[in-house]
Amino acid sequence: MGHVTPTPPLRILVVEDEVLIALELECLLDDLGHVTVGVAGSSQEAIALGLATHPDVALVDIHLIDGPTGVAVARALSADPHTTVVFMTANAKRIPDDFAGALGVIAKPYSERVVAGALRYVADRRAGHAASLEGLDGFRLAADGSERLHH
Amino acid sequence: MTDGRTFDTQGPSQQPDSPQGRTSPEGHSHLEGMTLVSAFAESPTPMVLTQARGGDHAIVWVNAAFLAMTGYARDEIVGRDCRMLQGPQTDPETVARIRAALAAGRTFETELVNYRKDGSSFWNGMTLSPVRDGAGAITHYYAAQADMTGKHSLEVAMTHANHDLERRVAEQTADLRAALEQKTALLHEVDHRVKNNLQVISSLMLLKARRTPEGEARAALNGMAERIGALSTVHRMLYSAGDVTRFNLQEFADDFLGDLVAGLDGERTAVSAAIDSMAVSAAMAAPLALMLHELATNAVRHAFPDNRAGRVSITARRRDGALHMLIEDDGVGLSATVPNPAGFGRSLVEMVVRQLRGTIAWSETAPGTRVEINVPLDAISLSEAVPDPDVEVPRWAT
Repeated sequence: MGHVTPTPPLRILVVEDEVLIALELECLLDDLGHVTVGVAGSSQEAIALGLATHPDVALVDIHLIDGPTGVAVARALSADPHTTVVFMTANAKRIPDDFAGALGVIAKPYSERVVAGALRYVADRRAGHAASLEGLDGFRLAADGSERLHH
Repeated sequence: MTDGRTFDTQGPSQQPDSPQGRTSPEGHSHLEGMTLVSAFAESPTPMVLTQARGGDHAIVWVNAAFLAMTGYARDEIVGRDCRMLQGPQTDPETVARIRAALAAGRTFETELVNYRKDGSSFWNGMTLSPVRDGAGAITHYYAAQADMTGKHSLEVAMTHANHDLERRVAEQTADLRAALEQKTALLHEVDHRVKNNLQVISSLMLLKARRTPEGEARAALNGMAERIGALSTVHRMLYSAGDVTRFNLQEFADDFLGDLVAGLDGERTAVSAAIDSMAVSAAMAAPLALMLHELATNAVRHAFPDNRAGRVSITARRRDGALHMLIEDDGVGLSATVPNPAGFGRSLVEMVVRQLRGTIAWSETAPGTRVEINVPLDAISLSEAVPDPDVEVPRWAT
């Protein structure tokens, strides 16, 4: 479980309408050595921030201020080949079969360990390393998630 | 009767006057004819006899029951064609089939709408048969009849009732399906809300902990966040596996111990666990998860102060309708953990065990602590088909 290889810091966009969750997540990402490039509560904000910041990773909730628009946000953000989208939701049933371009989903309520593990997986994969999902029960890949990483 | 005539001992002179002796040209006895005519005339079954000459089917004889059924007087009907009984509701196809059968000299059975003299209709169930002369030529047609209106209205009523029932069942099924869909959507919504709120509560605790100076208060907030985390894991597992009534303790233990070990300085503390794969009821899931969380966390956090190395072993077995759990460590022992930061954890475990109607025994094993718990499984937990015999032994020795 230890950090065998140091995880390179990721530039992360948080798409979450629940302010407390977003704030705590920011702290957690900071603890893990990542950089939060923005927090968006609505789909419009999220897409605009995505274009402005070109994040490495976008953590996207399904339910946003303007409704269940997280799916459309994921589709828009994953159009940027640089960005890896990961859903972060208590409502995984709303994710379409094709995952709207996302790599996978972190189920809410999540533990800090699962967030850390999922981000380590993403970082490793983006760096072209082999990565394991072992022990990450709260993180699930899209059906074709293994082919979904852009470099 | 022919026997009587053949073996008659009274002599031929008496034969012409004897009823038994008089024979018709066709060979039937007169008495037989007379008896039959009188039997038919008085039969409660409506009967009719018509001519069979070309297309002319004029009625030559009817009985009283026929007159009663149709409402005609004898002289109103004799000499006329049976067609006079037909009307607008009479099925022309059935009429055509009757004609065809009669023309072919076949016996025919059918039901047909006929009309009485007063214009009211009735279902006439009839058996028609040709009557032949001695040479085999058809001379008449005979029909026995029955008013089948009652049976028909019953059939019609049955058909209506069936259609009505089918329609109502279809309506109710649609209503139920809609209600079920609504309830399912509601369940998903509530499930989503609960998960989201657990996440908010957890975030709230952690945020406050981050802003609290290091010390007892901060440790308490982090401890509560962890307990909420354990309950959150239960909730996530409970509603994701499809079975909302049961929860796999092994799956929980894997996930939870993974979390626990991730936060450890792995060089010093080894945690091993052997948890039977067992489904427990949703009602037992949260208390059991809390219990496991407290015991494992206590052992790992408090049994090994001052960089002491050691190991913690956890076993959970299902035996004789009960859950047997054993948590052992080779740490400093209960009495040494002063001023008892584990006090709340310990009383929490005792409360939960009481709630589950189980027993708990704490003992010092020098070195270390041993906690033995027995909890009876409830009916839902026991209703599992067959307990999985495979016991996985994951090891988090990091």
